[in-house]
Amino acid sequence: MSIEHEQSIENNDDIIIIKDLNKWYGEFHVLKDINLRVKKGERIVICGPSGSGKSTMTRCINRLEEFQRGSLIVNGVEMIEDVKNIEAIRREVGMVFQHFNLFPHLTILENLTLGPIWVQKKPKKEAEAIAMKYLERVKIPDQALKFPGQLSGGQQQRVAIARSLCMNPEIMLFDEPTSALDPEMIKEVLDVMVELADEGMTMLCVTHEMGFAKKVADRVIFMDAGEIVEQNTPEEIFNNPQTDRLQLFLSQILDH
Amino acid sequence: MKEFKPLPDQPAPNDTIGPIPWIKENLFSSPANSIATLAIFAFFATVIPPLLDWLFISANWSGTTQAACTNENGACWVFVIAWSKQFFYGSYPIEEIWRINLCLIGLIAIIIASFKLPKDLRNKIAIPLFLMLPFISILILSGSWIGLEYVSTDYWGGFSLNVLLAAASIIVAFPLSFLWALGRRSDMPFVKSVSIILIEFFRGVPVLALFFMGSVMLPLFFPEGTNVDKLLRVWIVLTLFMSGYMAEVFRGGFQAVPKGQYEAADSLGLGFWQKTLLIILPQVIKISMPNILATFVMLFKNTTFLLIIGIFEMLSTTQTALTNSNWLGGHSTEGYLFVAVVFWICCFSMSMISSSIERKLDTSHRN
Repeated sequence: MSIEHEQSIENNDDIIIIKDLNKWYGEFHVLKDINLRVKKGERIVICGPSGSGKSTMTRCINRLEEFQRGSLIVNGVEMIEDVKNIEAIRREVGMVFQHFNLFPHLTILENLTLGPIWVQKKPKKEAEAIAMKYLERVKIPDQALKFPGQLSGGQQQRVAIARSLCMNPEIMLFDEPTSALDPEMIKEVLDVMVELADEGMTMLCVTHEMGFAKKVADRVIFMDAGEIVEQNTPEEIFNNPQTDRLQLFLSQILDH
Repeated sequence: MKEFKPLPDQPAPNDTIGPIPWIKENLFSSPANSIATLAIFAFFATVIPPLLDWLFISANWSGTTQAACTNENGACWVFVIAWSKQFFYGSYPIEEIWRINLCLIGLIAIIIASFKLPKDLRNKIAIPLFLMLPFISILILSGSWIGLEYVSTDYWGGFSLNVLLAAASIIVAFPLSFLWALGRRSDMPFVKSVSIILIEFFRGVPVLALFFMGSVMLPLFFPEGTNVDKLLRVWIVLTLFMSGYMAEVFRGGFQAVPKGQYEAADSLGLGFWQKTLLIILPQVIKISMPNILATFVMLFKNTTFLLIIGIFEMLSTTQTALTNSNWLGGHSTEGYLFVAVVFWICCFSMSMISSSIERKLDTSHRN
């Protein structure tokens, strides 16, 4: 790649730039030469069989996982081995987990205000106003004073989304947000995510919900064995797979 | 469309509820169970009446001297009553005993306050006061720094000393052991190895040996002429001993906090200490509470070992009373029984408090 070409890419509005990223767990090579660019406002769905590295790649973006080689630039900040740098990136990136990971000893409201108060140093009143605003958006303001254990799985996941949004992130990462939910609760979480996508949030979403991918994704990325095998628009991915691996994957998840 | 209506609930079958089915099911369910039930009843029937007679009915309650114990077949509680002030307060001057009571009331008040106060006030008032309590107590009991009459630690003693010493030790051990446990989990090799050495030393050496080191060996290391108070040395030793145990309790707690909690805190951009103190510590304490209380009960009982190095805690006060020339001749049963009962009441109440704390801290509402 020539120098001029590289610079021209740096100058456009890509919010995430992953270059030649490699990661090993001990001897095991989990991510192999990952190259990915995400535009501001782009909605990306990442799918693939389990163990393909899709969660690991997503978790590298906010440094929940380290990587050994390659570079990663998030919102203009390069990820380097520096606590200040890592915390700066994490403030821009919200994350929603498969198992919600709400703080069980804090009320819903306290879960939501923790970040704004301690990380962004906002006054408590202001943080609570923000929290209530986002609880309204995920349609559970009446649960503010309850503890996470008193809520259903779907409600907990919506709280987790609201908790991330309270930090006003540039990017939202979703790591299989509906995989731990009962079938009846998946829709309420997906509805919130669709709404968020419609508002122009940059989203990276690891999910097996192909309906969601078709509905909101600008681009679907298919991963296997630590590599990005194919990436394209949802129509192309689902109707016109280029590799036999994706074809097999699609036949296995759609054929019943 | 047909409407779905759930079936109504029905009451449980009658013959499974009530005292008689319970007795049948639990006490006489099989021949072996019936024999065991009857044998235990027989044992109680032979042991309890004479015990009650000795303890209460034939016991000697009134009087002030040994001569008042006229009934040979009953306990001589006069001995315990006559010495009760020493048992509880040691040789602390009578007119200054209010200071000990003040400290004890302060301790109980803060414990109750931390239950009753709302979370905000608890974190801002009760917990800092709790952590300062040992030092405030020393000021009050010693007296000279705050304009009260000076009382040397030689006069401190009795059951109040057991309580205050154990409380002071655990209060200081709390933050210390948390730091040790944190150090043991650290990625920094030096911090990690120092923490492991400290924890394993104070856990591995018998507490009696630690007491002897504190009272006999430690002064050898101090420069000539410095005189570190014996009770202070004992307090340090107890604190370190307790910290070693509690650090391991905390370590178990750390391991039980799901990895997702750390990740969620990280993903919000919380710094290391914010994450540790706001997210991890409260959950670690909740998980570790039963074991912390169990460790505390152990430490509290271990304070009686201090009689060996000449601290006048309750057990050594009792021994002193037993060898008093006016009370010679066989009151040891009453004396030791009294010590045992006092300790048992305290330890049992602590287990009750422990389970109530567990219930209070349980916000998960999961099974």
